[in-house]
Amino acid sequence: MTIQIPYAAALAAIASGSAPPVRSDDLPVETLLARFHPDHGPRARVPLRIGANAGDACHPELARLLESNALIDDLDLARATPLATDVLVIGGGGAGAAAAVTAARQGARVIIAGKLRIGDSNTVMAEGGIQAAVGAEDSLQRHFDDTVRGGHGRGEHMLIAQMVRDAPDVIRWLIDLGMAFDLSQDKALGQTLVRKRAGGTTAARILCHRDFTGLEMMRVLREAVELQGGIEQFMRCPAVELLSHEDGSCAGAVLYDLERRSFLLVRANAVVLATGGSGRLHLQGFPTSNHYGATADGLVLAYRLGARMRDLDSFQYHPTGVAWPRHLAGGLISEAARSAGAVLLNGLGERFVDELQPRDVVAAAILRECAEQRGIMRDGETGVFLDVRGALAARPDLLERDLVSLGHLAAKCGLDPRTEPFLIYPTLHYQNGGIEIDGDGATAVPGLFCAGEVTGGIHGRNRLMGNALLDIISFGRRAGARAAEARPPHAPGRGGLSHVHRWRRELARAGLPADLRAPQLYPTYGNFALRRGTTDRGNP
Amino acid sequence: MRETVHLTIDGCEVAADPTQSILQAYARSGAELTANVGCLGQGVCGSCRCLIRKDQERQVSTALACETRVEAGMQVSFIDHFLPAHVHRYDLSDIRDSWGLLGQIRAVFPEAAYCRHCSGCDRACPKGLPVQSGVASAVAGDLAAAAAVFDPCVMCNLCTLACPENIRPNHLGLFVRRAIAALTLRPVDLMRRLRDIETGAMTVEGPQPATASGEPAEG
Ligand SMILES: Cc1cc2nc3c(=O)[nH]c(=O)nc-3n(C[C@H](O)[C@H](O)[C@H](O)COP(=O)(O)OP(=O)(O)OC[C@H]3O[C@@H](n4cnc5c(N)ncnc54)[C@H](O)[C@@H]3O)c2cc1C
Ligand code: SF4
Ligand code: SF4
Ligand code: FES
Repeated sequence: MTIQIPYAAALAAIASGSAPPVRSDDLPVETLLARFHPDHGPRARVPLRIGANAGDACHPELARLLESNALIDDLDLARATPLATDVLVIGGGGAGAAAAVTAARQGARVIIAGKLRIGDSNTVMAEGGIQAAVGAEDSLQRHFDDTVRGGHGRGEHMLIAQMVRDAPDVIRWLIDLGMAFDLSQDKALGQTLVRKRAGGTTAARILCHRDFTGLEMMRVLREAVELQGGIEQFMRCPAVELLSHEDGSCAGAVLYDLERRSFLLVRANAVVLATGGSGRLHLQGFPTSNHYGATADGLVLAYRLGARMRDLDSFQYHPTGVAWPRHLAGGLISEAARSAGAVLLNGLGERFVDELQPRDVVAAAILRECAEQRGIMRDGETGVFLDVRGALAARPDLLERDLVSLGHLAAKCGLDPRTEPFLIYPTLHYQNGGIEIDGDGATAVPGLFCAGEVTGGIHGRNRLMGNALLDIISFGRRAGARAAEARPPHAPGRGGLSHVHRWRRELARAGLPADLRAPQLYPTYGNFALRRGTTDRGNP
Repeated sequence: MRETVHLTIDGCEVAADPTQSILQAYARSGAELTANVGCLGQGVCGSCRCLIRKDQERQVSTALACETRVEAGMQVSFIDHFLPAHVHRYDLSDIRDSWGLLGQIRAVFPEAAYCRHCSGCDRACPKGLPVQSGVASAVAGDLAAAAAVFDPCVMCNLCTLACPENIRPNHLGLFVRRAIAALTLRPVDLMRRLRDIETGAMTVEGPQPATASGEPAEG
């Protein structure tokens, strides 16, 4: 392990409280990323061997899951309880809820299935806010340009243009559902929205509800799903496999009912897959900010059925995860802190990066400080300081209004942010890549739609703060609307596992093991086995 | 070498590092964890509800297991989630006449007027919200005060479980908050931008070079 500067010495270095010195050994951004970002380096990618993306780069730990065997067999299907619906939504986060409400309002019968409760998701955890270009000095064009540039030019222009154009209407839709946004001026019919800046944006464009925007969004969406006629909820029922027709199109999904320990076979005219991200895979041993259910299930299911993926070797490491105390490691300190003026300091008390650069740049800069032994060590945990003291001195009311969650977190860490800095380290935060979609969330597989973090292409290879909450509602609504229009297949058939049989032949041909099974469903420390009392673990 | 504390979680003896939360200790004990967990530490999803009896104490309290540290001799049991038999149904889009809002609240949540001030909800709330006073404000028509009380609510439903009058305080609070937003939030900057887009006055063209707008390139 690299040697770092002890906590006490680092504290002493910043004790004076005067403006911190700035390091001047900046590396060109490309060099910084290449040398220090976890997406680079020898453990970051392998080529996929089978499936629609054979030959493409993928993170090795994700590749292991994508190239695995299904959890279930024809026998399980025969025993499953059959159900039928128009639209099956898989995943109860923001994207899934938006799709379900939209589809039901169009008159479709909807089943929404989730492996935890509806709302136990990454969505509810979002703090900072949601982007929409509503400022007078701002424009859709600037939102577009920032998003393209933030994604290192690799995002899909058509999807981005559509999303930024959707953004103001997304906010209106959320308000109509009853979601509140902070106002900077609150006079009758002259209100304006609070707009915050985020790293990588050229205008203040983040709209928020205090610093728990995701909680506000999710509790409103959850209530909307609950009260919407035509939606049936199946919670604690993870999707364990999709169903296919003989022609390869999607016919529904198999759920595993955890209460009854039995399978449900749900046939649907269209499936909307909205299972979110993969932080709980803890790639390269990183801690994560993600909720418990973020185990890449949707990617595994869609890939096996033939959907195309992209950028599976690109992840976002949020610069400011908690490093100390250990039991909170990985928890997020929102970018809102840096927007409000918090600075990053190394063990020598120096600033080493412009805090409002894009996240990958800031994360790489922090990893560099630690690699070059200018990090800070406290009780065995390594990181750098996030110092909010100056910002709080300038605006003492920040903790009451704009940084409420930060205050709570400080209390949990047992420190006073007015006098003491946080120790932080990058945390695995967001899956940039995912399933390829068109503007309606349609995939290469007929009948299979996707929305939210499970998709790829919108954020290129790096996402700007606030663009994920926008993406999930913009595409969630569109996917829900299109899925509701889907008609029953011409040659009905019951739907089965023909794609799994094909997949098993491919596995064998490529010499890949048949005993590795996925989706994983729960993190390794969840101690879950789909089949109790056998060695056939869901999570090998 | 760190010390170890012993406690009981859902009937299982668990040995844990005292810096851990109840939820972390439970997962590390080897128990199967597929429910009563969501955000795992942030304390925002409200799924990890539990009853706690501390060593030597008779009093049982409610808490969020991801936010509460383990203690020696603690007895913990999770409170499973269920879909309640009785739900207060409403459709926000039916309340287009904001003059009638007070009547709507009464119509949808008739039980709220019969709050018996037992404080069960206040005691149950793991976030320490003054739930009872929030209910009273809603009934009295002080909607801003009611909205403020429930603003930080994580919808764990513990107050709903605790309420003998079936008031479902958190859902009442959310109803008030949703109605206020849907009926009164009309930001002009948003309205202007929606018009710009509707009339075609503002569009997106394809990517512009980063320097064209005079902004520094992001790198
Ligand atoms: C701590 C944190 C802070 C963030 N802050 C911001 C922010 O300020 N602004 C912003 O724009 N973005 C932010 N993000 C990112 C953003 O919140 C997410 O990308 C977005 O909410 C994802 O929404 P989703 O609906 O696609 O997935 P989720 O909200 O994660 O929902 C996916 C759902 O699917 C369920 N699921 C998974 N697998 C299965 C299965 N096999 N069967 C059934 N259900 C399944 C999951 O349990 C979950 O309920 C943040 C993320 C985190 C973690
Ligand atoms: S008000 Fe009720 S639902 Fe909200 S946090 Fe408190 S107990 Fe939970
Ligand atoms: S628990 Fe119900 S009856 Fe008792 S004080 Fe709270 S709202 Fe009133
Ligand atoms: S796990 Fe989300 S509140 Fe405890």
